[in-house]
Amino acid sequence: MAFFAVSQTAFLLAVLSWRISQSEVLVEHLPLTPESLTVSINSTLQHLHLQWTVHELPYQELQMVFQIEISRFETSKVIWMGNYSTTVKRNQVLHWSWKSELPLECATHFVRIKSTVEDARFPELRFSSNWSSWEEVHAHTPGHDIKLIFPRDKLVEEGSNVTFCYNAGINQNLSCYLDSELIHGEQLYSNIFTFKLNNVPFIREAGTNVYCAVNYALKDGTVLFVSKVLEEPKDFSCETQDFKTLNCTWDPGVDTGLVFDGQPPQHYTLFESFSGEKKFCEHNNQCSWEISPDLQETYNFTLTAENYLRKRSVSTIFNLTHRVHPKAPSSVHFKNIGATNATMTWKIPALGNYSTLLCQIELRDKENALQEHNVSIKVNGEFLFSELRPDTQYVVRIRCANAKHVWKWSQWVTQPLVTAEAVPSKALDVWRRVKSEKGLLHVTIFWKPLSKFHANGKILFYNIVTKQLDKKSELKFQSIPAPANGTELTLNQGSYQIQVTANNSVGTSLASEIVISRDSGNEEVEEEKINGTKDGFHMSWKPQSRGRTGYVVDWCEHQRNLHCDLQWKNLGPNNTSTVISSDAFKPGIRYNFRIYELSTEKIAYLIENRTGYIQELAPLDSPEVKALNLTSHSFTLSWKDYDTEAQRGFIQGYRVCLKSKATQCHLDAVEELLPDNSTCCKHDISNPKQKTFLVENLQPESFYEFFVSSYTSAGESPVGTFTKVMTQDEHSHMLMRIILPMVLCVLLIAVMCYWKSQWVKEKCYPDIPDPYKSSIFSLIKSKENPHLTIMNVKDCTPDAIEVVNKSEGTKTPFIGTGKTLTESEFPKPANFYLLPAQDSSVPGPCISFVNHTYRETACDSSSCAHTPVTDTALPCQLRLLASPDNLQKTLEKTHRDSQGEIPAGEISLNYVSQLASPVSGDKDSLLISSPVPVLCSEYKMQTVVPSCLDSTVLSDNGSLSSVTLLGQGKHYN
Amino acid sequence: MAPSCLFPGVMPLLLVLHWKHGAVSPLPVTSVNATCATRHPCHSTVMSQIRSQLAQLNGSANALFILYYTAQGEPFPNNLDKLCAPNVTDFPPFHANGTEKTKLVEMYRIIAYLGAFLGNITQDQKLLNPSALSLHSKLGTTADIMRGLLSNVHCRLCNKYHVAHVDVAYGPDTSGKDVFQKKKLGCQLLGKYKQVIGVLTQAF
Repeated sequence: MAFFAVSQTAFLLAVLSWRISQSEVLVEHLPLTPESLTVSINSTLQHLHLQWTVHELPYQELQMVFQIEISRFETSKVIWMGNYSTTVKRNQVLHWSWKSELPLECATHFVRIKSTVEDARFPELRFSSNWSSWEEVHAHTPGHDIKLIFPRDKLVEEGSNVTFCYNAGINQNLSCYLDSELIHGEQLYSNIFTFKLNNVPFIREAGTNVYCAVNYALKDGTVLFVSKVLEEPKDFSCETQDFKTLNCTWDPGVDTGLVFDGQPPQHYTLFESFSGEKKFCEHNNQCSWEISPDLQETYNFTLTAENYLRKRSVSTIFNLTHRVHPKAPSSVHFKNIGATNATMTWKIPALGNYSTLLCQIELRDKENALQEHNVSIKVNGEFLFSELRPDTQYVVRIRCANAKHVWKWSQWVTQPLVTAEAVPSKALDVWRRVKSEKGLLHVTIFWKPLSKFHANGKILFYNIVTKQLDKKSELKFQSIPAPANGTELTLNQGSYQIQVTANNSVGTSLASEIVISRDSGNEEVEEEKINGTKDGFHMSWKPQSRGRTGYVVDWCEHQRNLHCDLQWKNLGPNNTSTVISSDAFKPGIRYNFRIYELSTEKIAYLIENRTGYIQELAPLDSPEVKALNLTSHSFTLSWKDYDTEAQRGFIQGYRVCLKSKATQCHLDAVEELLPDNSTCCKHDISNPKQKTFLVENLQPESFYEFFVSSYTSAGESPVGTFTKVMTQDEHSHMLMRIILPMVLCVLLIAVMCYWKSQWVKEKCYPDIPDPYKSSIFSLIKSKENPHLTIMNVKDCTPDAIEVVNKSEGTKTPFIGTGKTLTESEFPKPANFYLLPAQDSSVPGPCISFVNHTYRETACDSSSCAHTPVTDTALPCQLRLLASPDNLQKTLEKTHRDSQGEIPAGEISLNYVSQLASPVSGDKDSLLISSPVPVLCSEYKMQTVVPSCLDSTVLSDNGSLSSVTLLGQGKHYN
Repeated sequence: MAPSCLFPGVMPLLLVLHWKHGAVSPLPVTSVNATCATRHPCHSTVMSQIRSQLAQLNGSANALFILYYTAQGEPFPNNLDKLCAPNVTDFPPFHANGTEKTKLVEMYRIIAYLGAFLGNITQDQKLLNPSALSLHSKLGTTADIMRGLLSNVHCRLCNKYHVAHVDVAYGPDTSGKDVFQKKKLGCQLLGKYKQVIGVLTQAF
């Protein structure tokens, strides 16, 4: 029994021992297959999340590699294989995720896994396990709506790729769109189509519709949200102003937020690694961090920006004292402000005893920094400014920083500073102009205002003190309020000393002195021309005296204005040339410069006079020209009143432009083409003083047009209107020489005739008496026949002629005075004769009348005599006279007799009418004493015969006969 | 009618008057025998006011519909038949040939349904289309008129027909839906609203 028991025990031990050894061998060769594999889905992230364990790990930990296979639709369609290496601890649940490009809702996925121990410490365990069983997973689609397109409300970053899938039937005409844009797709599986969008752009915050249609019938849609890519925060820094709070700031970059629940804006968290504290930042660009009371010296901050898709972090590490940014100084004031110095005080908000502050002070004028100072302070600061200018406005600004380590300066604090006034530091620059007029000196004093630098304050007024040097007199004071720059003084003839000072509220400047001599204002210096250049007017002069203290050149900047704006330039005694330049100088304006020499007595003597243009221009206008002395071959042009002073350059001459029909110009002229394409002959007058021009060699009775222009060195005046002129007729002057005297003569004769008209009438054509109105009738009518109108010859009583001796003295008055016989001393009418007419055609006796007025000439020539003619003798005589020969002879004889063959005064023939009253000597008495009736009466036509032919004809026998030439058959009733 | 989208229940009219935007949960059920009471007596022209409000809603319904689907972008404007068809299955019925009381009760249900859903749409659109201000304004105005209409209908029912309570069904809950489904559902409801408000206007 014992043996049985022992052997049984031994057997059991042996078995146990074998079991133990066998068990160790089995443990060494366990496959370590992953177990409890579960697969979950994150549809939003499209993640397959794997979770498994490795049972009976022989050691506490092993380095293992897990091979993972993922299939889609079917287990055989492996779409991904990969390894996952990790250290596996005993009883550890392992996790691993895989991201699917395809939305997980579109397909069933299968996962299996196996492991391999790859731990160098345990090379004997290097073998692979079996595959786990396939784990099937399919995404759950929430809701009860039929959804065909996935993913729903997908959120991606701009530029990323996204795949849509559509669960549709087979062989369907499917088309999908992104915001109306067709997306190309492919069939992934029997009823699954995929549409891949690469590098999607950001379209809008509200998302973009993606939709699919089958046979153009919309089936389903979803919204794709594309956000901007989260950027890393920029310029991340932290600083403190009071050692209590750290203010961290950064530039967040673009906002990645989307509307609805697509994605909120990114949020920021601040983590400090030394303290391990973390803070969620309320703002997207700044965060405040409370400094602990123990004053942690070093900080290491990490700023993390995060949205649904991404995280971005930046870090900074710093010493707190190196990040001090003091607040701006406060209570900045000035005290003890003088003309050249001032004290500034300020305060800095307390930083405790942690820091010494360095303050930077700047003194500036309007533009530039004049002084810069650095001052170290704890809390209160004070600084003395010196070397300031009086009455000057400054700007002082101050800022502070940590003296040990300048991280950032505080904000500038600016405060204005105005220094006090001081006495003007410079004498005025004074000049004068003097006019001597009617025994008085009109002195105009000019001064240049002191610059702000020298005025040292606001100039309130100018004092002028005038002192006559010739005789002792009181000083004359005059105060001119600012901002005047001159004044006028009227002084008696003499020498004067004038002092001018400028005054501000503090004091008076040094006096400027000038002396007006007795001769001032009367200087006459010849004017010289100068030419200006771009730099100005260069002028030089010769010194006049040795005892000079300097020169002054003055000129008017606005030459043509009433207020000429006198300028002057002071020059030293050794200067004999200068350049006068000014921005006010304009081309085309003449400027006059006067050069004065200053004597030691401060008297200015005019030494030279210059005039010129900074740039000459062509004249603007032409002279007004008159044409004078117009003849048939020439005329003279004259333009006496042309104002050359007002021109825009020195007039160098004139050009006469003459237009005519002549095709060629004279030798002294040049043909020139005018703007209107016409030509003219241009004569040049190079002497500007010549203001007349003789245009000659012209054609008579021709039109000419002329125009006179002036020219300077810059050019010629513009062509204006041509004046027309016509030359005279060549013979017109001759005609004038003849016609004019003739007209004058005619006029003279006419006047004379008018004046002597009565006399001429009496002499040449006296009044013809009407025989029917003769006074004879009155005598006859009254006695015999009151109705008698024509005297009958029978009624005539022949008169007798008696010859009487008469003294000479009685003859002349009759001729010369022209008085009627009744008025002369002849007592009886002597010039009547009665001639018995015996004409064959007129029977009976007739009375013939001869008007004695026609016989005056004959009588005047002393050849007239009334001779009684018998009745028989008259026809004979008439016949003789009718013959031309006889008439000629008779005339000659009569003429000869009138030349003196019959001496006047010796014998006188007196006609005695029978009707005449012997007692009455006047006409009236004659008419009354003619009572004899007349049978017939005939009036003989009276004809004017030169040289008394009509009245008296000498017969051949030398007897005198009175002849009346009668027209035959012509009777006047 | 999908049970999850409809929350039938008896709601006191007074509580209905205090309905707000986005109220989607059913109001507490009160006793059927609760006394009908209004704070103020109905105006004699309440029916006229109801007709006027209906006309006002009818006049603006199409413009609201157009504004809505335009703001949603493609494919909505060109697929109205698919996306905005008024085939809302759980929509409260209306019988135009019924009595005034019946019609008023049915209209009350419809306006309550639409009013609640309009609140949801307004809230969604302010988030989805923050720049569509005219749409937001139009939605707000429509909701205001609906509240006034609901008050008048309640007054009429209470005073004339002594109806103290009406079973009310709310519209579908959009909170769990994706954005495209929300857009689509809103468009469908507004299409339905445009259609039914015309019927209501004709019926009164």
